[in-house]
Amino acid sequence: MRALRIALCAALVGGWLALAWLLFGTVVPDGLRLPHVDVDAVFGRSVVERAERYERFLLVLWVVETVVTLATLAVYARVGGRFAEESAAGPLGTGMLLGMLGLAIVWLTQLPFAVLELWWSRRHDVSHVGYFETLFGGWVQLGVTFVAVCAALLVVMGLARRLGSWWWIPGAAVFTAIAALVVFVDPWVYPGLDRPDDPGLVARYDRLERAQGLDGIPLRVESVSDDTSQANAFAFGLGPSRKIVLWDTLLDGRFTDREVDVVLAHELGHHAGDHIAKALGWFALFALPGALVLMLATRGLGGMGEPRAVPLALLVATVWAIVTTPAQNVVSRRAEAEADWKALQATRDPVAARGLFREFAVTSLGDPSPPTWAYLLLETHPTLAQRVAMADAWAARGR
Amino acid sequence: MNAAARGHPVRLVVRDDLQRSRLTVFFRLLLVLPHLVWLTLFGAAAFVLAFVMWLAVLFERRAPAPLHAFLASFTRYAVHLTAYLCLAAAPYPGFTGGDPYPVDVEIDPPARQGRWGAGFRLVLAIPAFVLSSALGGSVAIGNGYGGAAAGVVGGLTLVVAVLGWFAALARGRMPRGLRDAAVYAIGYGAQATAYALLLTDRYPDATPGRAVPQPELPTHPVAIAVDDDLLRPRLLVLFRFPLVVPHLVWLTLWSPFVLLAALAAWLVALVVGRVPWALHRFIAAFVRTWTHVLAFLTVVGRQFPGFVGREGGYPVDLTIVPPAPQRRLAVAFRLLLAVPAVLLSAAYGWVALVVGVLGWFAALATGRMPAGLRDLGAAALRYQAQTSAYALLLTSRYPDSSPALHARARLDPPPLLPDAAGAA
Repeated sequence: MRALRIALCAALVGGWLALAWLLFGTVVPDGLRLPHVDVDAVFGRSVVERAERYERFLLVLWVVETVVTLATLAVYARVGGRFAEESAAGPLGTGMLLGMLGLAIVWLTQLPFAVLELWWSRRHDVSHVGYFETLFGGWVQLGVTFVAVCAALLVVMGLARRLGSWWWIPGAAVFTAIAALVVFVDPWVYPGLDRPDDPGLVARYDRLERAQGLDGIPLRVESVSDDTSQANAFAFGLGPSRKIVLWDTLLDGRFTDREVDVVLAHELGHHAGDHIAKALGWFALFALPGALVLMLATRGLGGMGEPRAVPLALLVATVWAIVTTPAQNVVSRRAEAEADWKALQATRDPVAARGLFREFAVTSLGDPSPPTWAYLLLETHPTLAQRVAMADAWAARGR
Repeated sequence: MNAAARGHPVRLVVRDDLQRSRLTVFFRLLLVLPHLVWLTLFGAAAFVLAFVMWLAVLFERRAPAPLHAFLASFTRYAVHLTAYLCLAAAPYPGFTGGDPYPVDVEIDPPARQGRWGAGFRLVLAIPAFVLSSALGGSVAIGNGYGGAAAGVVGGLTLVVAVLGWFAALARGRMPRGLRDAAVYAIGYGAQATAYALLLTDRYPDATPGRAVPQPELPTHPVAIAVDDDLLRPRLLVLFRFPLVVPHLVWLTLWSPFVLLAALAAWLVALVVGRVPWALHRFIAAFVRTWTHVLAFLTVVGRQFPGFVGREGGYPVDLTIVPPAPQRRLAVAFRLLLAVPAVLLSAAYGWVALVVGVLGWFAALATGRMPAGLRDLGAAALRYQAQTSAYALLLTSRYPDSSPALHARARLDPPPLLPDAAGAA
């Protein structure tokens, strides 16, 4: 039995490493050296100072909010089990109640930080969302989150009650399957997406799509200009549900057509590089040890099949998410860097890429070169300075 | 009249025999027109004198006897008129509010009142007005709000009046359940009016069934049992709605299967005159789950409910008897027959919603659900459950529209709950 366990663990670790190695591959040339970028010279001293000031406040806010959240969850892990008496819903339903209450308390403690962040963003003209909407508009979203938590707890607790301490292996698989389903369906249920009404934009998009060997991925525009002045775009979906979405703030005249092309090519690069499927693979790789940690942490309370273990599980899951964030960000930044490289290959326009990243520092107040700890913990994309450096490196190789 | 009810300074007295003249029922709305004109004049005078009364109570802490008598007459007149309008009483009412009437109120003489309570009386009365509006039991409140010539009878009472009109025309009698529902709403409206007009400083009591206590509640195949304390942890109250979203999703997914089961039950019952046990159990579990979830949502129940509708699984629970033979003709036209009950159920649903909102604020502030509100909410949920059970063929018994939750024995002293006389 012991030998079987060791063999199983070895197989899991080996499989994990093999899959991670496969997923970690990139088309960015090995040994590509990014040239030094003089941030002040490229972005302008005043822009950098403004972006740094803006981000510094948000970073402090994030640190305080994270500490408060962890402290809240730690207290809840100690006393949350008492609320089991408030349930007539059986073990699974009681677990759901405890999970939802934990999230509700966290949501409540995070509300002041959300208001502060909004105040700061509004002060810098980055957000136009109202305070009332922030304070009271989140209840429906909270309800949706509750449903998701209930579904997750149903899976975990149901498996734990049937399989005992081995629930974490099928549990991780079920979570990955659910994540894949959500990723697949999301583009079809995502609200408020319109077809672009600029024929020139559509024609350029088609050309870039063909340049990356893709075909038939719809382009959509999302109207967000009432809420924010930040510019963004994203790729989502799997297989037939794939889509590219541009925020209308990218099309309000602040960015040139060539700069918008870089954005389009970058997002198409995600689909060309199968980044969303790979992200699901990474999700599975992180979910497996995460579920194992959850199982080990809650064993003292009878395991995840017991409702009273749920408050502790919330704390452990949050700590796990924070601890693994730097590793997940490494993966994310690698995919983003590859999408940048593919965009440069498709547009062959490093000047436009440079202009785009410079403009991001102005419109979105992104710090071109954030502190290292913030870079490791929070940045899912390469810094703006790194992205400019990649454009320069691509140009240098081209020459 | 029981002792607990006698404890309130504004007491409803019902001597109605349910007999109705079809002729006066048919022309009721026209007959009442002169009264509505008079109500407007009477109401305007009452409004002015209520202000004088307010100043007097603020300074003297007691209402002057003549003013008290005038406003008490206005309150009684409003009760008589409302009862006549919504068919809770038969005789044409007098215009002074001084004559006895089959649905009447007794109002205690002026008593000492607190200045703070009197000073902020209109603000304090807002929850009572909101509930009274949902019940629709007072033309005085409708008149006070709108200032219109025609006082407003809305909410539960409006539906009772419309259904009662058809029933009384057909049978020459007002159905007792409908009459009791109207009388309850009228009683609460009278207490709310009296409170606002400073005739008393006692808050209206929402406990249903006090006005016309019955020795025994009529047995019904679908009954509600309330075995729940009044304590409500504030955290669970605050997040009541989002907490119930998973249940709503679950019930939405469940409901198409229940409709299919009800269709199958209908077909089988048409042939064999009885709903199969398995279908009955499946549908009953759904109705029970709905009731548990609504009880939790409206703060009528304390605990987080389950998802499968297990009998005995919730402190505010439904007892549904096993399947019994049903008449095929009544089965064939069940949906048509259920229409009046569905209308009244919608009105009770509105009442339950108001109970939920008021109860949410009250429980958040005090950590307790007021007993009267809890019982009214339970009565509203019971009617909705009985309607669903009737429409979905769980029973052939028509819903009992009376809001009474407890028989007389449980309303007599000692009170059911320590703060049963407390407020709604």
